[in-house]
Formats: sequence, C-alpha cells, structure tokens
Amino acid sequence: MTQDEIFASIQAKFPKIEKAAVIVKDYLTIRLPSKDVLLPLAAWLKETGFDYLEMVTAVDYLGPVDMKGYIRQMNFNTFLPDGATPQIESAATPNYPYRPVIDLVWSFVSITDKARVIVRLETPRDASSAPTLSGLFKTADWQEREIFDLFGVTYEGHPNLTKILTPDFLQGHPLRKDYAHVKDRYDE
Amino acid sequence: MGMILEKLPGLTKGLPGGELLLTTSDYLIDLGRRQSLWPMTFGLACCAIEMMGSYASRFDFDRMGVIPRASPRQADVMIVAGTVVKKMADPILEIYHQMPEPRFVISMGSCANCGGPYYDSYSVLKGVDRIVPVDIYIAGCPPRPEALQYAVVKLQEKIAKMSLKKGLATAQQEKGSRDINA
Amino acid sequence: MNNAPVQPDNETVGKLKTDQMFINLGPQHPSTHGVLRVGLTVEGEVIVKAVPDIGYLHRGTEKLAEVRGYHHCVVLTDRWDYVSAMPNNLVFCLAAEKLMGVKAPPRADALRVIMCEMNRVASHLLFFGTYGIDIGAYTPFLYAFREREMILDLFEMMCGARLTYNYIRLGGVMVDATPEWLAKLREFVAYFKPKLDEYDSLLTYNPIFMARTEGVGLIGPEEAVNWGLSGPNLRGSGVNYDARRADPYCGYENYEFDVPLGKTGSCWDRFFCRAQEMRQSIRIIEQALAKLPEGAFMATGVAKIPKPAPGESYAHVEASRGDLGIHLVSDGGISPFRMHVRAPSFINLAMLQEKLVGMKVSDVIALLGSIDIVLGEVDR
Repeated sequence: MTQDEIFASIQAKFPKIEKAAVIVKDYLTIRLPSKDVLLPLAAWLKETGFDYLEMVTAVDYLGPVDMKGYIRQMNFNTFLPDGATPQIESAATPNYPYRPVIDLVWSFVSITDKARVIVRLETPRDASSAPTLSGLFKTADWQEREIFDLFGVTYEGHPNLTKILTPDFLQGHPLRKDYAHVKDRYDE
Repeated sequence: MGMILEKLPGLTKGLPGGELLLTTSDYLIDLGRRQSLWPMTFGLACCAIEMMGSYASRFDFDRMGVIPRASPRQADVMIVAGTVVKKMADPILEIYHQMPEPRFVISMGSCANCGGPYYDSYSVLKGVDRIVPVDIYIAGCPPRPEALQYAVVKLQEKIAKMSLKKGLATAQQEKGSRDINA
Repeated sequence: MNNAPVQPDNETVGKLKTDQMFINLGPQHPSTHGVLRVGLTVEGEVIVKAVPDIGYLHRGTEKLAEVRGYHHCVVLTDRWDYVSAMPNNLVFCLAAEKLMGVKAPPRADALRVIMCEMNRVASHLLFFGTYGIDIGAYTPFLYAFREREMILDLFEMMCGARLTYNYIRLGGVMVDATPEWLAKLREFVAYFKPKLDEYDSLLTYNPIFMARTEGVGLIGPEEAVNWGLSGPNLRGSGVNYDARRADPYCGYENYEFDVPLGKTGSCWDRFFCRAQEMRQSIRIIEQALAKLPEGAFMATGVAKIPKPAPGESYAHVEASRGDLGIHLVSDGGISPFRMHVRAPSFINLAMLQEKLVGMKVSDVIALLGSIDIVLGEVDR
C-alpha cells in the first residue's frame, strides 16, 4: 500500500487527522488534532495490520538548549580554516518555529505491508499528557516511562509511571530544553 | 597470621639480624600477593569487553596468575572498567568495602579516569577516584588488553614495595590517590 | 528399616510457615552482561515477581548530542552497542545524510556493508561465548574469542581501533580498503567457514545445552510483535521482519541472503537464529568482496561543520541486537536539535518483567542471556 492509500483510509475513518507540516523524510507523518483521537486511532491501526509499535518519543521545541544543563560549551572555532567567520553554536536559527510545545511522536509499522505511519501530537509544555498505549501495545510500557522520566510527559492510565533511567536524587526532567542541573553530592 | 604480621616488626627490632627477617618476610608476602592477584569482574561498559578479551585466548591473563572471581569477598583488586554513573556510585562503594584488605583499584579507560567523552553529562561521575582510592590509571577509550596487562604489571611492581614496617599499606593508600610519585 | 525417602506429612506441612524471598540479581553479577539489576521475589524456586531496574549506565547521550556537532555525534554513537559499533555509526550517518541530502558513493556503501556484517559475526561470536558461560559451558568462550580477535585485527588494520571504530562517517567511510586488507579478509573468510561447523558441534546441538534452552522462555509470534521485539528475538518466534529486507539501505537489495527463522520462540530458537545469521553474514561478505565497485569512498560536499536545513528524518538498520533506529530533528544549527535512539536492547528487555513470572530461578539466566542485551544500548 502506498502512503497516499494509507492516508486516504485513515482520513476516511478519522476525518480530522491531517498530514503534518514537517514530514519525517520519506515516511507518512500525520498530526492528531487532540489527544482523544489517539486511542481509537491506535486500536484501528492495530486491526488493520499496523500492529508493531516501533517507537515512542517526544521533541521539545522551546528553543536552543540552555547551557546551564552542561558543564562546558564546545568551541568549534578551532577547527575552522583561517579567515572563516566564527560560528556561534547554540544560537537560535532565525525563522525556525520555536514554540513552547512538546511534540509526542509514535511510529506504527506494518510488518506484512512493510509500511510505516508516524503519528504526532502537540501538547503544551506545562501540562503535557496523552493517553497511554500500554493497554494495546505492551512495548509502550517502558518507552512511555522513559519519556516521562526525561521530559515529564504524563501518560494517563499507565500502570507504573515512575523513573526508569535517571537516579532518584536527580531533580527535574533532563531532556527539556530549559533543564538546569541542580548540583548533587557527586558534583564538585 | 595477621597477629604475627603486626607484631613482627616490634619483635625483630631488638634481635640481631632482625631486619633481615623482616625484609625476607616482606619479600615472600609481597611475592605471594602480587603473583596471584584475583580481580573482581566489575565490567561496566565498553572497557569490560576489552577486559574480557584480556582474559580470553589471545591475551591470556591466567599466565600472570590473574583469575577473575565474581564475589568481592574473594577478590584482591577491583578493575573499574567503564563509565561510572552517579546511580552506580553507591553500589561501587558497597562492593569496594566488601573487599578484604589489602585491596587495590585499577581505573580502566577514560570514563573511569575522569568522565571521558561524557564529562559534561548530567548523570556521569567524573572519575571513579572521587569515591574510591585508585592505584593505577589506564588511559584509552577503550585501552587495549595489553594496556590492562601492563597496568597489572605496574600494580605488581607497586605491591613489591609494600612493607611490614609501614603496616603493609601501599604507597598509594599512604599518600592518597592523586600523588603520582607514590 | 523403612527405606522410603522422608516426606513431611500433612500436619508438618500445615505448620511450616513459608514466605517469599526477595533476591537481588546485580548490578554487579557475572551474568547480567553489564550493570542490570533485577529484583526477584521468589516463592521456593518459582519466581513470583520480577522488577528490572536499569539506569546504571545512563550517560545521557541524547542530551549530549544536542551540544555536539554532527561529526562529533558519531563518536557518541559507537558506545551504545559497544560490542558491535559499526551499525551504530551507520544508522546515525544514514539519518544525518537524509537530512543533508547527501548520498554515499557505491564503494562506500559496499564497504559499509562489509563492515557491518563483519561486526555482526563478531557480536554473535561474543554472544555465543558468553551465553555458553551463562549456561555453564566455559570452553566455547575461548574458541569464540580466538576468531573474534582475528576480526578485531582486521578492524584495527583498517581504522586503528578494536572496539569503538568511528569509521563510518557522514557521506562515506573514513579510509579506503587497501588490496592487502581485502586479501586478508578473503583469507579470514576462508578460514572461518569450517569453524562454524565446529561451533555447532560444540554447543548448538549439544544435548545438555538443548535440554537447558529448549522449551524455556517461549514467546509466541503475536506476543513478540506486541512487545516490540526485534532482531533474532522476533525472528526466533517465527516473524519474518528484517530491516535489511523491509527498508533496504546501502545496497542490501543487491545481495542474496536468507533470513533465518525459529519455530517455537524458545531460547534455543533465538540462539539458533544467531548461529545461522553468522553463516548468512559470511555469504554477504563474500558477495560484497566479489563485486566491490571502484571509486570514491567519501561523498563530496560534506561540510566540515555540517548545518543541515531544518527538517526531521528517521533511519533504521538491522543491528546485531535488533532494529536500531534514529529519529533526528534539525533546526538548521550546528548540533542536532533532538536525537532519539530507538534502542533494540531497551525494548527487548521490557518483556522480562512478564516472562520471568512462573519460571524457575535457574532459568532466569538462560532467558536473560538469550535476549542478548548490551547495557550501553539499554541505558544510553
């Protein structure tokens, strides 16, 4: 099935879903209007052969990363040939749509058709939440825990939404762009 | 045995030729200790694969008397091979304290030396010598198995300098782990 | 005298106060393949609850990638699945090349394929050796490392490193293959093929090994797909999904190879899949050596400090552990805006919390070893 056929069948069932503005290169990317569509869409995708939930992730679009989360900035200027203009890294690119949202991304794969559908949902940074898919796909269990740990996204209905990767004494959600590292007893 | 070792320097002070007895005991004890170092299998990350390679067929470690022991209670030396993450620091300390003395620590690879390529990460401890005293540092990412074996040779040389007069402390434990002249 | 074995009578059994015991497996344990901690609650010999605790090697590479340049990120990628580092480099380079619109030349593609398949053989040899140790057979480890050292010698001759290569770069590969290296590779391939039969006789069809691994840790095909397994774990349950066939990259559609499948989804099936994959990898290496194209090994036009146009890309390869994917977001700056790793070992490990319940304690290591995890990938 080609991407257009898949998108046509999705739109026939869920009229409000559109193609995303930024397409992940070469793959069908759709954007959900709200989080209520997620569970019905996932159940329908599972029935129509997209029963392999490959990836659950999130992207924080606030702005370039805040250097307070790191110890030292890399200096690229030493690698430049003489006479080239110095680069400023971590500088915001003009005209890039930085906005205070966290985009949740799911990737569904059909093993028999060898097709992939990437589903995206925009959520506000302060209250980022979505229904859990761990009832339908057991693989979502740990991946959602990881996104909760690193971004602070709540997945409603998850049986065990706790930290999985970072230590207990680490405060905050590290992969957020405004993460400021709080000194713990292992830092000097 | 421990009582004899503690009392021997005092007993031999007055004896004529007592020093000779002391240095011979030193030599024999150090010989036994250094030629049968039993490390604990403490591989954390990539350096552990090179450590496994050094135990395996080509870089046979057994010819130097080195046999890996899984339990810290039966080990002499802890080879910290790999990145030390802050979450892992507490288990490392517990295991270090479970090792009976005299115990040594070899820090293998740049992650264990100083944080390595992850020095600016929020969750990496910048060097295992922040929590345990280290005897030998091995540079590399990952160091070759020959480098690990050379480090064990250097540790053997360090053990050869241990003496009953100093209470069998290694030179490193006297002066602290950051003294390079020890 | 009554020679019957002593049995407790009903009265005694009623008075015995049995309790559950909590056993801590790891993080320092010879068989957990790294720093993994599993909290097991056992009732007698049977496991009642299993809680894997990971994060003892969480180095934060996804956050570090946001302050490293694209070329510097390739160094970070080596250390995820450190046992087979070439596919890690490759997947990042494929994702970044999609963003930059760069295509690697054919010779670079062929060299990438050779390197990844050699690394698959080396990684499966290490699995073969360490799984033998887990089950209790100490000899195959030494045999496996004898051949693995030869492969690492070849890698060292090519790119200077034995374990973390940083060889596959953006736009191609680091350095070209010399005729001497190709001759040595052909020698190795000829030497290695009979050794595979030796390993089969040593471990694969060994009756003790089969008794310990057949029928242990059965996973059905629907369950495997639901758990998101990939690689030999998925194919051991009979599901035919290989990223080299589903989304061919680097010219894999031009090579002839079979994808080994298991029947029942037991530990032995997964082991058998990996043993057969070694043979198929040697087949691919021979074909790639025979038709190695001439030409450049690095694409022109890759900047020293790449700044790809804003966009997103997803690339995935069939790494030795499973389906390794990278989701890369670029905002036009020097560093990736967001890099997410779809780590196969992390996702394969999740099924442990359900699969271990009801198993005996002695089968825990057999199941854990057969998933073939590498903690660098689980924790990133």
